[in-house]
Amino acid sequence: MAGDVLVEVRDLDMAFKIKGQRGQPAMLHVLHKLNFDIGRGETLGLVGESGSGKSTAGRILVGLFEPTGGSVKLFGRSITGPDRRTNLADVRSRLQFVFQDPHAALNPRLRVGDSIAEPIDIAGTMSRRDRGERVKELLEMVGLPRDSAERFPHEFSGGQRQRIVIARALALAPGFIVCDEPVSALDVSMQAQIINLLMDLQTRFGLSYLFIAHDLAVVRAVTHRVAVMYAGALVEVAPKNALYDKPQHPYTQALLDAVPRPNPARARPPVIGGEVPSLLTPPPGCRFHTRCPHAMPRCRVDVPVLRETEPGRQTACHLYDTDTSSRAQRGIS
Amino acid sequence: MTELALESGPATASPVLAPRRRFMALRRLVAHRSFQIGLCLVMVLAVAAIFAPVITGIDPSAMKVRLRFKPPSEAFLFGTDSFGRDVLTRVLYGARVSLWIGLVVAVLSGLCGALIGVLAAQFRSFDALLMRLMDALMSFPAILLALGITAALGPRMESVIIALTVAYVPAGARIVRASALVVRELDYVQAARIAGASDLRIMLRHILPNSVSPLLVHMTFVFAYSILAEAALSFLGVGVQPPTPSWGNIIAEGRDYATEAWWVMLFPGLGISLAALGLNLLGDGLRDVLDPRLKAG
Amino acid sequence: MTAAPLVSIEDLTVQFRTDRGWTTAVEGVSFDVAEGDCVGVVGESGSGKSVTALSMLRLHARGTSRFARGAVRYAGQDLLRAPERNLRKIRGRDIAMVFQDPMSSLNPVLSICDQISETLRLHQGMSRPAARQRAIELLDLVRISDAARRVDEYPHRLSGGMRQRVMIAIAIACRPRLLIADEPTTALDVTIQAQILELLRDLRAELGMAVMLISHDLGVIAEFAKRVIVMYAGRIVEDAPVDVLFNAPRHPYTEGLMASMPALEGGTERLYAIPGRIPDPDEPIAGCRFGPRCAHIKPICQAAVPELLAIGATHRVRCTPRTRSLGVS
Repeated sequence: MAGDVLVEVRDLDMAFKIKGQRGQPAMLHVLHKLNFDIGRGETLGLVGESGSGKSTAGRILVGLFEPTGGSVKLFGRSITGPDRRTNLADVRSRLQFVFQDPHAALNPRLRVGDSIAEPIDIAGTMSRRDRGERVKELLEMVGLPRDSAERFPHEFSGGQRQRIVIARALALAPGFIVCDEPVSALDVSMQAQIINLLMDLQTRFGLSYLFIAHDLAVVRAVTHRVAVMYAGALVEVAPKNALYDKPQHPYTQALLDAVPRPNPARARPPVIGGEVPSLLTPPPGCRFHTRCPHAMPRCRVDVPVLRETEPGRQTACHLYDTDTSSRAQRGIS
Repeated sequence: MTELALESGPATASPVLAPRRRFMALRRLVAHRSFQIGLCLVMVLAVAAIFAPVITGIDPSAMKVRLRFKPPSEAFLFGTDSFGRDVLTRVLYGARVSLWIGLVVAVLSGLCGALIGVLAAQFRSFDALLMRLMDALMSFPAILLALGITAALGPRMESVIIALTVAYVPAGARIVRASALVVRELDYVQAARIAGASDLRIMLRHILPNSVSPLLVHMTFVFAYSILAEAALSFLGVGVQPPTPSWGNIIAEGRDYATEAWWVMLFPGLGISLAALGLNLLGDGLRDVLDPRLKAG
Repeated sequence: MTAAPLVSIEDLTVQFRTDRGWTTAVEGVSFDVAEGDCVGVVGESGSGKSVTALSMLRLHARGTSRFARGAVRYAGQDLLRAPERNLRKIRGRDIAMVFQDPMSSLNPVLSICDQISETLRLHQGMSRPAARQRAIELLDLVRISDAARRVDEYPHRLSGGMRQRVMIAIAIACRPRLLIADEPTTALDVTIQAQILELLRDLRAELGMAVMLISHDLGVIAEFAKRVIVMYAGRIVEDAPVDVLFNAPRHPYTEGLMASMPALEGGTERLYAIPGRIPDPDEPIAGCRFGPRCAHIKPICQAAVPELLAIGATHRVRCTPRTRSLGVS
């Protein structure tokens, strides 16, 4: 999976101005020093619960928001900094997005064919006839009948609409697609169809995905590497089997424990208490320390940094600090 | 677990789509009781207005002084007025004026309102300015505003149209702005932005078509209000000037002899009521059909 | 040997009015809920699981829905035909319900105390101070910390998980004999979901009430229910104890569902996907409604609608080829 790096994120910060308590303006820090890469043909899973910031991160990577700090490079071009507009215009055709809600992702007044062809129309690169042919080709690619182009979105079911959304995403043959909870709004029997479709398309076209989801089982099936987020920060990044079989960060462990399995006989691990902290007034030090079963005094003070714990794995947790003083604190030689 | 014989294939779902059911919304609309009644009323009035010259064959300004104040009879279905003019013919010609004014005001104020509403929703800097302007206009009662404008421009049909349009644009703009603000956050608009669509394209192709449903309903009510407002303005003498008949000025002329020739005021009044009622029912039907569908998605 | 069930649903058939006439949302649903039972109802959209739950308390709108057949028997009454005032005494007191979306289930202009007190004062005639005291106790019971202070807050100040706990507090306020929870955790984060499910389990044990949990998530059902009812396109297709259902399901739809779920333990290279899509309620399908998507369809499946038959003391399946092969018909 080495190949070239399509997406390079360094120290990404994102804050929104909002009205805080008593109407005073406040900064809501939604993302805090994110660092990750995505290579060609790779799927990086981004998991987290509400307040993790994963959706915002996805939207930044397609140019919908401008980060307030850090750098983002797509296909080698920086979209932070002075050349943002020109660079974004250049790489736009290689980026795309698949939305969560198939009922909101398509303009109800446009025929399906026009929705799918919109990226083509905006880029203005094809003749009318080629465009029509391409739309039919895309419909076929996603498993819909070629003559669907004349119909309107309300004539399709949720799963079919999601296929249309994927067809639109493929219109300009992008290299990188952000999928934001692409199957969460679908029925279980439909989810598998769409997941298979996404994986087939990846094999066929060498696509890279940022797969944002909260369903950990789906993420395991689809991704190569997984990044776990909590309250706006990355807490762990690892190849998927390593993450699922030997999680390092206590939050990852808690998350995996909490997922209900279709196995009635399974012994249920202890349930973690507490809730995601407010992003307006986050706890000092490690944001997870208020719920962490392994919290140490240090966790209340120092913010952990994402560090490589094994080749190819990074974790942001004081438990894995190779700093000798912290080891002494834990009584380990 | 038993074996699952079927391989799931190349990700193809059953590619059989349900047979097309075209024009569902239109069918629902036509079946709606209020809409049917409203449409009938409006159609009757519209036809009467369009075919006014041929229905009676009488000249609305023809004065037959010997036939003054004749009550409704076989010869003159609505009676005659103080100048011996046939009230039926005048009411029919008056319908032309009143309905035309109502239609033009509804359409113009709708167009302007839609434009302003979409611009305000898209460009937040304009928003503050435009909305304060709309608020200022809305703070005047429509009639007073219209009075002022017609006084300034001189009493004519065109002045009435301009005045009423100005009076009703703010409400339309508010309605469209509210819808547009919601639509602009929807995923399909984000999708267009991701693909690099210009603001103009987003406004015309995505936001405008999906924000106008509530406006359409509103426009039928504006039509009705305009007819009423025009009647009031003409009644007050600042609207359409005699001898051109409009429902308002016929009532005005009939006011002086209300007790002797009640029919002069009654029939144009009926016309106004029926038009307003018909349009309101039409609007109710439209609203019922459009609203729940928007939510059902 | 078996005591009379708490609630008995017989041949429940619910129809809704659309512009195309009456469509059937739920057809021939029959099952019992015993005292202290823990039943899970699983199905996807269009399965009729929510409609069934709402029918048990006759919560559907009068004009646009009707009960074409069937009965819901509780305490000697048929809830579908009983007078409204009888139903009012049962709702919230004997049978309570918790809904999916905590954001819209609470009244934003009333404090938590007011909303919990409403039930108490209505059904138990409590005075305001007594109701307030009881409300605080209930908030403690549902594990909301700092209950005495929280009780006066308004819904918008609470997170999703906390709102759902408040909903549960309102539901158990009068110690109902049956709690129906319709997708209570679907809108919540997975760690909060685990907390709420644990809470429901503990409350069930403490209060001795029966719980009927409705979900589309097989994992949730597996970890919570003792008995599972699987619904598809308005009908019950399988009804079995939870370990039997997950280890040896008999209906092709149940099998398909389980196979299409990716395993958290990994090893899924490619997912099995049930082909086709869920039928519209008014789509005409001859015989078994799952037929068009079934890998094992036979001519008999289209000839007649399969019956829900018992293939064991506690296991029912609606599949003609399967029941026949097990010697039942």
